[in-house]
Amino acid sequence: MSMLALQGVGRDFGGLPAVDSLNMSAERGRITGLIGPNGAGKTTVVNMIAGLLKLSRGQVLLDGEDVSTREAQELSRMGIARTFQNIRLVRDASVRDNVLAGFHLHEKTSTLANLLGLPSAFRERRALLARTDELLDRFGMTAMADWPAGSLSYGHQRRIEMMRALATEPRLLLLDEPVAGMNDAEAYKLAAIFREVADDGVAILLIEHNMRFVRRLCDHVCVLASGRLIAEGDAESVINDPRVIESYLGS
Amino acid sequence: MLAQQLLNGVVVGSVYGLFALGFTLLFGVNHIMNMAHGAVFMWGAFAGLFAATMLDLPFIAALAIGALAGGLLSVLLDWVAFRPLRKRKAPEFSAIVSSIGANLILLSLAQQMTATRVMRFPFDTFPIRIYEVFGLRVQLLQLVIIGIVILMVVGLVWYLQRTSAGRQIRTVAYSESTSRLLGINPFSVNFQVFFLSGALAGVAGVLIGLVFNSVHFMMGEPLLLRAFVVIILGGLGSIPGALVAGLLIGIVQVLTVSYLSAGLADVVVFSLLFLVLLARPTGLFGSVHGGAARVARQ
Amino acid sequence: MSSLAGYEPLFELALLNMVLAFSQYIPLRAGVFSLGSAAFAAVGAYAAAILATRYGVPPVVCVVIAVVAGGIFGALAAVPLARLRGVFQALATLALVQIVLSTALNWTALTDGALGINSIPKAVHLTEAAIAVVFVGYVLHVIGLSAIGRGFDIIREDETVAVSLGYSVRKHHMIAFVLSGAIAGLGGAMHAFSSYSITPNEFGFHMVVMLLAMVVLGGRVSVFGPVVGAIILTGLPELLRGFQDYRSVVQGALLMASITFLPSGVVDTTRGWLRRRALTRGQAGADAAEVTS
Repeated sequence: MSMLALQGVGRDFGGLPAVDSLNMSAERGRITGLIGPNGAGKTTVVNMIAGLLKLSRGQVLLDGEDVSTREAQELSRMGIARTFQNIRLVRDASVRDNVLAGFHLHEKTSTLANLLGLPSAFRERRALLARTDELLDRFGMTAMADWPAGSLSYGHQRRIEMMRALATEPRLLLLDEPVAGMNDAEAYKLAAIFREVADDGVAILLIEHNMRFVRRLCDHVCVLASGRLIAEGDAESVINDPRVIESYLGS
Repeated sequence: MLAQQLLNGVVVGSVYGLFALGFTLLFGVNHIMNMAHGAVFMWGAFAGLFAATMLDLPFIAALAIGALAGGLLSVLLDWVAFRPLRKRKAPEFSAIVSSIGANLILLSLAQQMTATRVMRFPFDTFPIRIYEVFGLRVQLLQLVIIGIVILMVVGLVWYLQRTSAGRQIRTVAYSESTSRLLGINPFSVNFQVFFLSGALAGVAGVLIGLVFNSVHFMMGEPLLLRAFVVIILGGLGSIPGALVAGLLIGIVQVLTVSYLSAGLADVVVFSLLFLVLLARPTGLFGSVHGGAARVARQ
Repeated sequence: MSSLAGYEPLFELALLNMVLAFSQYIPLRAGVFSLGSAAFAAVGAYAAAILATRYGVPPVVCVVIAVVAGGIFGALAAVPLARLRGVFQALATLALVQIVLSTALNWTALTDGALGINSIPKAVHLTEAAIAVVFVGYVLHVIGLSAIGRGFDIIREDETVAVSLGYSVRKHHMIAFVLSGAIAGLGGAMHAFSSYSITPNEFGFHMVVMLLAMVVLGGRVSVFGPVVGAIILTGLPELLRGFQDYRSVVQGALLMASITFLPSGVVDTTRGWLRRRALTRGQAGADAAEVTS
């Protein structure tokens, strides 16, 4: 069974379909690319999966369970994590604190213990900080841990978003243009991390414009144009598909 | 007796509606909750009183001066209290805080100027004439007030619906980014909206000053608090909502005062607000901004 | 020392204002637009004053009961209020203040109406007020560091991100309301025991504005924000003695200026600046070390 399956999913804005009759899936352990020209409806798809947009038609299945009407908070508890295309961080808080916020789902001490400042709350904080530092190290950002997130470059801010999403330990990771604004060397370093994450059994759905990156990383690619799936398959064949080329040239 | 009270309620309620109209207009177009709207109302009443006493002008002129003063003060508020925040794209709460500050200043200045006195319109500002209609005592002033409110509402709706300036205002209310694409000048739209909103408050100030025959620096606060109830009840940004809810609150208040107790009026009115927020946060007429926005699938 | 002793009432007032400002600080930190602290303070003050004057309950017990009453009232209010956002929350909490005020004015059998409650024993002095500030400040500091504080911060900054990380906005808003209610209950009760008498109008719009001004001016992330805000706004009238009549004008202008030019408040702005400077210096030092080695 696919980790994520979309069945006949559609969404209208002001009577016009932004996404229509979309069938696609993302498998555990694999990186699925979702590409398409600007305005194709890619972010709309992500927002429907993550619980921010209602579906006009169809179903979203997470590991076989219909989650089409669940709210974002529930979905995050069920193992969906995401990054945002327009980076959304607590800009004044440090990099470390931003990442630490992602561990919320793994906090076990009670609200009361936190309110009273019991030792268990502090122990947990220390443990989560240690895990935060591991993530920082993995993404090569230990030296920047104390900097306010908003003061860093776009590339670094995107990495903070990814660390925060990974901190939730998701089953399904939605990455909305994770390497936008990075050079190839930086992007490939991240590609290695994504591959490791997928190898741990996570299903990754990746929206990306950078074709070289998609070709190198994605096991399976879906192409969206004007809200419809126009092609899917392995990266090489999809990118050479005449319909796909036409949709990009036409836009 | 009941009919008499209902009539009184309608008169007070229609002025509440007029006041709340300007308040809701600002929210509908600019997403601003102007906490100094009550102070604009009060200064409008002051200006009308000044025209009637010092300048010895007739009722209609006093009303016009009240409207002008309210409108200009409201535009000034925009420049000082809201525009700097808009430029910075500050969150909506900043505008609340800033206008609370402005309210404090305007109130305190009025307090100093009048030495906390209660002032009254001269007897000849408006002729006291009472008619008997189906056993009801109807004052000429009450009829005139209802007439003025109807006239102003019709005028406002005409302006918004039928003129090109009004269309621009509605476009900004619908979507600010769209209006910028269409080349609409936000400066001129803001000026009009703040002026209209303040002018409505100024007229309401003169009318309330006449009805209760008292003008004082604290007269705006109870009205502002009632306007909150009115706009939540009617739906934020909704013009018909503000009018109907204004009438409703006026009637509820008058009936509570005459049948229960004067002290309970506030408790009843504000509990009503609570109930509405609990049951239907978008108000009876639906809000243009989705009411109590929370993160949910949209 | 003798010259300082003359200022003791002022210091006491500043400390009591800090407690009330803490009650306004907590919701703002959590992204709750509550203006309801004055209502919670009234509940605490009246609970304490009535118990002390009519039933002779010892002040300490009164204060504890006031804290509990404020907290319960905050929890009850939170049931409808935690569902609302932004301006709706602000207006609904203002309505709450108005309801409590009208009740205090009109339920004469319980509250003596506009006359208020008099001859409350003077049980709170400088020491007690200082203890309360340190205690509440410490508790809030600990909460700020905890998972709940992290939740508050991320919900305030971006609710969409917060839910996408699994935070329950409703739960955190409830916690903020209960804490705000309990702290205001404490502040209200201490105010009653410090000033011999209370009247309903002390807990009206004026208090709402004052507490809001303290937190906006001081800052709403660091616990020291409300402390500094309370010091400035309590001390200011003393400095402006000659301009007594225009105190409110200055207060209003200060509120407008701080939200416009210093939106994060004195403390948070200063802290951010200091932190950035330390980091830049550290960076420069590290770079220099790299060059020389």
